[in-house]
Amino acid sequence: MIFTSLLSDSYTRRALLEAVLVGALCGAVGVHVVLRRLSFFTMAMTHATFPGVVLAAIMGLNLYLGSAVFGVLVVLAVAALSARGDNASVTGVVLSGGFALGVLLLSAQAGFTKDLTAYLVGSILTVQPAAVVTTGVTAAVVLALLALLGKELVFGAFDRDAMVAAGYPAGRLDLVLLLLIEMTIVTSVPAVGTILSVALIVAPAATARLWCRSVGAMTAVAIAVGIASGAIGLAVSRQWSVAAGGAIVLTAAGIFALSLVVAPAVGLLVRWFARPKLTRQPTG
Amino acid sequence: MVNRLLVEPFALPFMQRALVEVLLLGAVAGVVGVFVVLRRLAFLSDALTHTVFPGVVIGYLVSGESGIVPGALAFAVLSAALFTALTANRRVNQDAALAILLTSFFALGVVLVSRRRSYTADLTAFLFGRVLTVDATQLIQTAVVVVGVSVVLLALRKELVLRAFDPQAARAMGYRVGLLDLTLNLVIAVVVVAAVKAVGTILVIALLVVPAATARLLSDRLVLLPAIAITVGMLGGWLGLVASYEASINHGVRLASGATVVLALVVFYLLALVVGPLGRFVRGHRLRGHRLRGHRLRGLLPADAAAVGESSDGLLAPAGPTTGADIR
Repeated sequence: MIFTSLLSDSYTRRALLEAVLVGALCGAVGVHVVLRRLSFFTMAMTHATFPGVVLAAIMGLNLYLGSAVFGVLVVLAVAALSARGDNASVTGVVLSGGFALGVLLLSAQAGFTKDLTAYLVGSILTVQPAAVVTTGVTAAVVLALLALLGKELVFGAFDRDAMVAAGYPAGRLDLVLLLLIEMTIVTSVPAVGTILSVALIVAPAATARLWCRSVGAMTAVAIAVGIASGAIGLAVSRQWSVAAGGAIVLTAAGIFALSLVVAPAVGLLVRWFARPKLTRQPTG
Repeated sequence: MVNRLLVEPFALPFMQRALVEVLLLGAVAGVVGVFVVLRRLAFLSDALTHTVFPGVVIGYLVSGESGIVPGALAFAVLSAALFTALTANRRVNQDAALAILLTSFFALGVVLVSRRRSYTADLTAFLFGRVLTVDATQLIQTAVVVVGVSVVLLALRKELVLRAFDPQAARAMGYRVGLLDLTLNLVIAVVVVAAVKAVGTILVIALLVVPAATARLLSDRLVLLPAIAITVGMLGGWLGLVASYEASINHGVRLASGATVVLALVVFYLLALVVGPLGRFVRGHRLRGHRLRGHRLRGLLPADAAAVGESSDGLLAPAGPTTGADIR
């Protein structure tokens, strides 16, 4: 009943389509982000593409182009600086520095607060048809590449040394993965905001990690959870008129929290009931 | 010149208060930041700056301005506890747990605040603070936090350093590592809470991480790190305010004061990136003659802790290239 109201008018239909596409894209990429523990790096990327968006807006260029260029700069900066200090601190420096640069550029312009909020939490209800098409194309390309390189990327995530020994170009594959993450962020941020895109990348994949043993199943579940979070979040936002981006994030986090309790093998419920049996075994 | 840098921008009372606030925060965040950098807790600090947001909103809705600090503190403590509980599950890595906590708490704040009419203005104020509208009460609060945090860190500095470099040894010696971790996390949370209202989340994370990372580039000696971090934090704050004032008043370009301070700090970091290796090169020649001192230095640094196994248990260290290639 709530969901049928989502199909009632054209702008919510567009928002729903966008949420589903972004959910699927982020879910698939998120599996690799979670396996390689790149969440903080992803966070830094979302913040540091901000000056690119502002510059592109000031110069009247394409927003995607601006943030993509800055995204590549961020990848290079983190990679270059990490050789000189520890990774977490470097990421912190790049994150705050990049974001501050964006704010500085924006504050020199007029009409500052509105654009900024849209950038942070998105305004999925006002998404343009062109943005939906861009998201669809990116999703197709990224998913195809992930399907093609899936085996190699997983190998690299679990045992990089063995991969180098087996003769794979490990460094180039890492770069491909970082660029895939960047593409995902660049396409999803203008539509759904920085905070939402990080949540949709990490939460569905972390949820899937609780339910699945194999990477293939994990990817399928992550995509399904991503899509479900988008659709349910939109419905909730419409029903109680709260911010759509916030509602989608909270849905994804809610599914994760529920999985923590009920998931087989690692869930709290199962562990609670399994405990007495395990302790009795040695004596009996 | 001196007049222009020191006197003119700070003739107005609100600029004086902003300067005092930034200097106080620069000093305390510099010291705490040294531990943040040594323990690689940059992501935890970033997460805490976002998770206090719903606390700020709820506190404000319940009892106005005076409710902000207690609300933020409650949520900081709550998120530190939840983070500890989440990572107890072996299939949830710390990195993902922090990202989920950060985004969901922040989203909760956004949902709450989106029901209000002044939505965008509130959000912007939270993210960037209003350092130019700091009042005397906030200055006193910040000063109290500075004193409290300094006392705790001075009292526990030996234990915290030991835990940072060799958690196994600390545990073997009978220290309660969990309690030490909780203390440090709470200290970070208190600094975040004290700073968020005045300077906003982005500046807090910059104040915590950038000066300490700069110090780490410039020195291998633990005693010097806090001193350098404090100096950089305070200098960056002061120069940032001056630059923002100068551009806004004399050149007609409005520059957000918080963001200018962050960029001033980043400039120091970039300078240290250039200067650091030079200094190390010079010192390297000197040290080669004093092998004993070289050994002592080597024992002081986290690269060795990493070699012993600190990074392998996934202390927020991503799987990528890790630390300390710069240490000889």
